[in-house]
Amino acid sequence: MAKAAAAITGIGSTPIWFRGESAPRTMPELIGEAVMAAVADAGLALDEVDGLAFFAFGFDTALLIETLGLRAVTFAHCVSSFGSGLAGMLDLAAMGIESGRARNIVCIGGTQQIGRRLGQAIGSFAATPDNIFHRIAGLGGPGQALALQVRRHMHRFGTRREAFGEVVIASRAHAATRARAFRRTPLAMDEYLASPMLADPLCRLDFCLETDGALAFVVQSAERARDARQSPVYILGGAQVGTADWGRAFFGFQQDEDAFASAGGGPVARRLYERCGLGPADIDVALIYDHFSPLVVMALEDFGFCARGEGGPFVESGAIRLGGAIPVNPHGGHLSDAYVVGMTHIHEAVEQLRGVAVNQVAGARTALVTGGPAPTPMTAAILGNQP
Amino acid sequence: MNRVSTLPDFSRLEVAMDQWSAPFWQAGGEHRLVMPRCTACATFRWPPGPFCPTCRAKAVAWVPPGAARIHSFTILAQPGADKDAPPQWRMPTLVEFADAPGVRLVSVLIDAPCDAVAIGDPVEIVWQPAANALVPVFRLRG
Ligand SMILES: [Zn+2]
Repeated sequence: MAKAAAAITGIGSTPIWFRGESAPRTMPELIGEAVMAAVADAGLALDEVDGLAFFAFGFDTALLIETLGLRAVTFAHCVSSFGSGLAGMLDLAAMGIESGRARNIVCIGGTQQIGRRLGQAIGSFAATPDNIFHRIAGLGGPGQALALQVRRHMHRFGTRREAFGEVVIASRAHAATRARAFRRTPLAMDEYLASPMLADPLCRLDFCLETDGALAFVVQSAERARDARQSPVYILGGAQVGTADWGRAFFGFQQDEDAFASAGGGPVARRLYERCGLGPADIDVALIYDHFSPLVVMALEDFGFCARGEGGPFVESGAIRLGGAIPVNPHGGHLSDAYVVGMTHIHEAVEQLRGVAVNQVAGARTALVTGGPAPTPMTAAILGNQP
Repeated sequence: MNRVSTLPDFSRLEVAMDQWSAPFWQAGGEHRLVMPRCTACATFRWPPGPFCPTCRAKAVAWVPPGAARIHSFTILAQPGADKDAPPQWRMPTLVEFADAPGVRLVSVLIDAPCDAVAIGDPVEIVWQPAANALVPVFRLRG
C-alpha cells in the first residue's frame, strides 16, 4: 500500500437547520463560518488557505475568495458530478497537495434548500429532448426515479421492505444519542411498514432529511499533518470512475441488469480497493451516501461487504449496527442526522478516526466514504488514522 | 384498495426535441414507435444522439423495437382536482423491447390496476396528444 500523501487536519461545520430555516443567512456566510471553524480546528490562520476543492457543481469561487478575503489561492477545482462527487473532493484535494499546487486546501460543501428542493430537482429542470420522457412519466425527483431501480432489486433478489426498514431503524438508533440529529425518536418495524408510500416501493421514511448547512475540511500534506493540532486523518486513497453504462444514472436508465439493480458503485469500488491495496475486510466503519434507504443495501453489495443480491439479508442480520460486521453511518446519516450532500458523512469519518465520535466504533482505523448513486463520475475514498 | 392508474393531461406539455430525436416524434405522429439502430454495427442508441456508443458511427436506421414488457415501475399518489377529491394514481413505468436489446423507454402506464401490475407484464404503446406532438404511453396488453 502506497503511503498517504495528504491528510485531513481540520473540520468545521455550521449549525444545521431544517430546510429553509437557515434564512436570512446566505450561502457565502454559511460557507465562511464552516471554513473559519475548520481552519481554526487545524490550528491555521485563514490567510494560510491557498486551495479550494468542491463537488456538486461547486460554488462561485470568485465570490468566495472575495468574501473570505483570501490573498493567494493557487488551486481552485471542482469534481464534475453532483452528490456522486462527494468523496472525489477529498481525492481532488489530495492531488492538489501531492502535486505541490497548494499547501492548505479547504474542501467545502453545503446546501440551502430555499425555494428549490433537491428532491424535486428533475421536475424543476427546463424541458430538454432527453428529460422529456421523465416529464411524461411523472418522475419529478430522484426518489421517484430510484424507486424503479429498487423495485428491480426486490424483483431479482427477493429483497424485502424489512431490509430498508432496518436501514432506517438502525439510523434512528444511531441518531438517538446525538443531540444534533434531526430524527432521534426510536422507530419500530411496524411503524416503518405503516409509513405511507411516496414512490412505491419507497415509503416516506425511506426518504432522507432536507436540511441546510455548510461544512469544510482542511487538507494538508501528510508530512505537515504530523505536527498538526489534531490527530491527522489520512486520505489513504480515492477513486473517481465514469462509465457509459452507469452514465447519467436514473436520468438514463440504460444500465446493464446488474448495474441497474445497484447503487452504481461497482466500478469505483474495484478501482478504490486496487488503488489503496485494501479490501472490504479492511474497512472498520462505512459512511454510505443514504439519501434513500435502499441505496445502503445496494451500496453494501457494490463495495463488496456482501455478495450481489444478498444486501437485504445481510442488513436484516444486524450487520450495519454498532458492533455488527460493518457499522454504517454511526451518526445517523442523511436519514436521521442531517442532509448536507454527504459532508456530514466525511465529518463523522474524521471523528471516528480521531476516536471522538459520539457513537465510537471501538478501535476504528479505517473508514470508507462513498459518493451518492447519481450521474457519473462516481467517487469513493478510504480514510485512515495511520499513514 | 381498488386503485387504477390514470392518464395524465399532456395537453399543455411542450415536447422538446432536437435533430437526433425528431424522427422518433415524426413517426409517433403516425402512431408508430421506432428506435434508432446503428447502420454499421446494429447497436440500438437510446436516448438518440450523434454517435453509436459501440462503434461511434453516426448513421442510424429507425426501426420498430418489437414487443414491450415492463422492466420496472413505481406508483405515485397525486392530489385530486380539489382537496376533497381522492388521490390519482400515476405509474411511471420503464419498458424493454424484444427486438431492441439494451433500450429502455420510460413513460407512464395508464388504465392499469395498480396492485396487480408485475414486472414482465406485456404492454402496448398508445399515443396521446401533447401541445406539439403525440407522446407514447403504455397500456397493459389485454
Ligand atoms: Zn455502431
